[in-house]
Amino acid sequence: MVLKSFRSILIVMLVCFLSAGFACAAQKAAWKIGVAVSLTGVFGKDGSLVKDAYTLWQETVNSNGGINGAPVELIFYDDKSDPATTAKLTEQLIVSDKVDLLLGGFGSSQLFAASPVAEKYQYPLISGGASSNKLFERGFKYYFSTLGKATEEVRGCVDIFSEVTPKPKTAAIIGADILFTSLACDGFKKYCQKNGIEVIHFELFPMALQDYNSLLMKVKNKKPDVLLVGSHLLVAMKTIKAMKEIDFSPKAVAFSYGPTVPKFVEDLKGDSNYVIAASEWTPNMPYSGKVFGKADDFSQLYIKRFNRRPDYVEAAAAGGAVAQQEVLEELGLKPPLSKENRIKIMEALHKDKFETFYGKIQFGADGANEAHPPVAVQIQSEKLENVFPLEYAEAKILYPFKPWKER
Amino acid sequence: MYTVFVQTIINGLLLGGVYAAYSAGFSLIFGVMGVVNLAHGELIMLGAFTSYWLFAYFNLDPYLSAPFAMILLFLFGYVVQKYIINRVIGQPHIMSYILTFGLHLMIANIAIKMWTQDFRSITTSYSGANAAIWGLNIPLARLVTFMVALLVTWVLWFFLMRTETGRAIRATAQDKEVARLMGVDIRNIYAITFGLGAAITGLSGSVMSPFVIISPEMGLEYTIIAFCVVVLGGMGYMPGALVGGLVLGVAQSLAATYLNAGVSVAITFIILFIMLVICPKGILGKGSVA
Repeated sequence: MVLKSFRSILIVMLVCFLSAGFACAAQKAAWKIGVAVSLTGVFGKDGSLVKDAYTLWQETVNSNGGINGAPVELIFYDDKSDPATTAKLTEQLIVSDKVDLLLGGFGSSQLFAASPVAEKYQYPLISGGASSNKLFERGFKYYFSTLGKATEEVRGCVDIFSEVTPKPKTAAIIGADILFTSLACDGFKKYCQKNGIEVIHFELFPMALQDYNSLLMKVKNKKPDVLLVGSHLLVAMKTIKAMKEIDFSPKAVAFSYGPTVPKFVEDLKGDSNYVIAASEWTPNMPYSGKVFGKADDFSQLYIKRFNRRPDYVEAAAAGGAVAQQEVLEELGLKPPLSKENRIKIMEALHKDKFETFYGKIQFGADGANEAHPPVAVQIQSEKLENVFPLEYAEAKILYPFKPWKER
Repeated sequence: MYTVFVQTIINGLLLGGVYAAYSAGFSLIFGVMGVVNLAHGELIMLGAFTSYWLFAYFNLDPYLSAPFAMILLFLFGYVVQKYIINRVIGQPHIMSYILTFGLHLMIANIAIKMWTQDFRSITTSYSGANAAIWGLNIPLARLVTFMVALLVTWVLWFFLMRTETGRAIRATAQDKEVARLMGVDIRNIYAITFGLGAAITGLSGSVMSPFVIISPEMGLEYTIIAFCVVVLGGMGYMPGALVGGLVLGVAQSLAATYLNAGVSVAITFIILFIMLVICPKGILGKGSVA
């Protein structure tokens, strides 16, 4: 008898204990958000910036009580800068990790591979680090980008030349022969033609090119007024090194990407001055929204957390995360998400307009952000300054480029 | 027209000098031990990082930090050979490929963990300095590297030909069994050779650091070029690295100027293929064919 009641007490205790455990687990249900991003390989540096941006977003959201009361849990996988791996890891996140949502990594080739997987499983995928036009030409409904298209992103870098005197007449365009940078070169070409600048040299080269001197020497001999480079960080750094070595000083040099990454200025020091780069965001832009407040607040928070100013790609990535968060709040959803919920999120992303620290985000039918003006920045006295569009310019453009021998 | 051609040749020779500087160690290690060191590029990376950190923390000029890079890499190479690579000497070639490829992955990934994925660059007061003579441009840092390549080749040649250890190394390369019978400590000779190869490779990484972009994963592309250079010059033939480097440099430079940059990368592999088929002993015909 005693034994029996003891046993029933034990059972009751066990049940209580287990149900408490379940309750605990239920309370802790978090938003599982998966990111396949390059943390090693050629885009390892750029990808780690995107990781920082999402991490800061997660920390900020969680310190404010999460999204609809549920905290955010991020799962990062390293795709080693290999698009096939990005696709595989995206599938792994969806199928094995059963994440609620995804966020995009870095690089057009990577997102080009990841987005069909997201489309297949009907997961919205917002990226802030890929802008090749081809990403938007596939009729996908679940792929979104907070950046504009690559060919449009570089517009500011060319349009700015209509504001300088004497106006440059000729341009040489070179770039790495991969998806984003080759499109950036096309964009340079398009806007050169619109601005009446003659393109006297156009050449794409493989990423594996070790020696830039011979290539740039050939360009130098054609004496272009400006040099426009379709680049990532590594290409941009190698180009500046080689330009100085062969004493090539055109009137201006502009890059599609690279110089806005802080390491560019840190290591190239004075050699980075006068360099112009495409951008989509700077902390002085008059944008504000929920979560991070003003553009500058985001920048300050970044400096506090990572001890450096954010790059525009980081702002774009965090902006995408904020847009997705706003939709979850609007729909009042809680994890775990069902397939129907994800369809609703996709529809809301297409329909809504978002006011954020990153600026207006409005996704077109093809998923590209249509509400963003292209920005051009220039490195002046080893600091990034917004020089275009003129209404947001922090500084006047320094033109022409000071020849290497006079520095 | 004439100036462009001469400038192209100069660019090619200087580029070739850089190639030769970082391929000499690869050739030495292959020639003596028959080990194709797939972690070769990592030795360059470690040399370049030695200079980078000494520059970043102590503001030490990269050329002054070169001896440190040599010493560190010698010790590193000696230890790696003695305790790791020696285990596969005498086994089929594939074992050394697997082992050194593993080392390549390990070193690169540890470097990423320690120093992050950042691309780094050393900018000194004289970085990018160049001389202009008769309308021709000569980047000085590359000229220095070119001279280092010449010096390294000469010193190695002298060392192998004229010193006791050098003789022991050559004897081991020719016939290790007989060398052993003559009282040569084969394992020690191997360790010294690998250390030496690593030291001159570290030196090249250090003198290249002012004009290349440094990152933990830079190694592999250098390993590939070093392999091509050594095949071109003749595997295992020391001065071959110099000849192979210069030929490849000039070929790439001509291709970049008169065709396009894409061809200049492809030409490396076209030349490699042709050499392996037609003349596997290298341009000078003095290489060994395993």
